[in-house]
Formats: sequence, structure tokens, C-alpha cells
Amino acid sequence: MNKQQSISNNPVENPEKWVDLYGDYLYRYALYRVYEATVAEDLVQETFLAALRSFKNFQYRSSIKTWLTGILKHKIIDHFRKKAKEQQIDDIEPNINKLDDLFTKNGQWKIKPANWNADPQKLYDQKEFIKILHKCLSELPGRQASAFILREIVGEKTKEICKILDISTTNCWVLLHRARMYLRRCLEIKWFTNEDVRESK
Amino acid sequence: MKHWMFNCKKVTHLVSESLDRKLSLDQRMGMRIHLMMCKFCSRYQEQLLFLRKTARLYSESSEEPDLSTQLSSEVGKRIKESMVHFLKKHK
Repeated sequence: MNKQQSISNNPVENPEKWVDLYGDYLYRYALYRVYEATVAEDLVQETFLAALRSFKNFQYRSSIKTWLTGILKHKIIDHFRKKAKEQQIDDIEPNINKLDDLFTKNGQWKIKPANWNADPQKLYDQKEFIKILHKCLSELPGRQASAFILREIVGEKTKEICKILDISTTNCWVLLHRARMYLRRCLEIKWFTNEDVRESK
Repeated sequence: MKHWMFNCKKVTHLVSESLDRKLSLDQRMGMRIHLMMCKFCSRYQEQLLFLRKTARLYSESSEEPDLSTQLSSEVGKRIKESMVHFLKKHK
């Protein structure tokens, strides 16, 4: 980089400027998907370095922001892949006992789902609701959390998720089922009913 | 097992899986018949759809600027330094 470039305000010629322009956005994008601030920070750093490395291949077919987001998305998926390798297979099971309590031996509802009667958009505007949603997500065991986030927040196909987490398709469906069952129960207790509905008819 | 004999626990599995794959005809029929008759499993299905919509709103909301979620200036500085270091090495 020559002197003239380093004082330029053009982010293409002065990549450090990318951090000012897109750093907060990329950090937020990462944090909303990986939850841990330090992990999100590292992913953003890796993204910028990867962008410098491959900048000569950038074709201007998309905006720099879109291009950087694409790199970050790959990094996020890699993060889940690495995490899955460290997670033990038995963490597929931990909250199953709790969930089994929801049904009778014959598979009928013991703790019946309540009528939420809620508009996601309206609820989503409430900060308190988002806090509780975060809390419920953070309580999910490792692989269930990864599967749910990849499926519903990152928007991956089930087939891809199986590959990322290195599990069978059936296992993947089971993980997603348990994650959803747990989350809906968690929201029901902590937000919608504010009490155990075991007694309600 | 006949369709109409699916129990609630089995139906909750199918409702979840129907969000991830195309169920077989038998499974779809069994699920639909059960849902028509069972208020609680219908509520369960609505709740899962609610979760999906909420997750989508959540993922889209990272587009919105949020002053409470920003890269700290310290980390920003660290990232810039690592970039300068990289550029020096690969001049």
C-alpha cells in the first residue's frame, strides 16, 4: 500500500476503514448467531483477514457489505462444525427426561399446551420478550442449540446441518424436535402463562 | 399402526419433522386427522410456527443498527492492527 492509498477514505483502498464501516454490523450479525461476545469478535476479525486475503478476487458483483457477510456466514458455520467435534454425543439426551414429563405413558399430553394467541411481530417489538427468548435459547444443550440456530436463524437446510454437525438425518430431526419442544415449553412457562400450567384444564 | 391411532407424543414428532422434510402420505394423513381432533396438538403446531416466525424476525433484526451491540473500540483497534500486520507481511 503506498502513502496516497493509506490516507484515502475509499474503503477499497484503505481496508482498515472496513472495520469502521462494517465492524458493528458484522459483530451484531455474528453475535445474534453464536451468542458469545468473544467468539463473535474473533469471527469478525477472521472475516476481515479472510477478506484481505481474497480481495483480489472480489468482482464488485455485490456490495462489500454483502461480500463480507458471505465470508462471515462461512466462518459461523465453521464455528458450529468445530464446536460439534468438541461436543460429546451424549449431550443429545440431557433434557429429554424433563420433556418426557410432558406426556403420559400412553403418549397423551400431561402438561397441555396453552393457547398463546400471539402475533410474533408485536411480541418481537418487546424487549422483555426478546430477553426471555435469549434465556431459553441459552438453556438448550450444545447440539440442540446448534441445530436449532442453524435451521431457524442461519436458515440452513436439514441436509447441510447433518453434515455440519456430523450426525445422521434421523438424529438431526430428533435434535430439532427436542430443541423446539424445549423452547416452546420454556416460553410458555416464562412468558405466556407465568406459572406452571400443569393444573390448568 | 392406523393413522387415527397416532398418539399426541408421536404427532409432536411429525409436526416438527414436517418443518424439515416432506412427510410420507401416511404420516401426513395421520397427522392431519389427529390435528383436526386434538386441540392441544393443534396449539403445539401453532407454537412451532410461532417459533419459526420469531426466529426469522430475530435473524433479520441483526440488520438494524443497535447501539447496545457494538464492537468495542478496543476490539476494533485490535482487528485493525491485525489487518495492518497482515498487509505489511503480504506487501
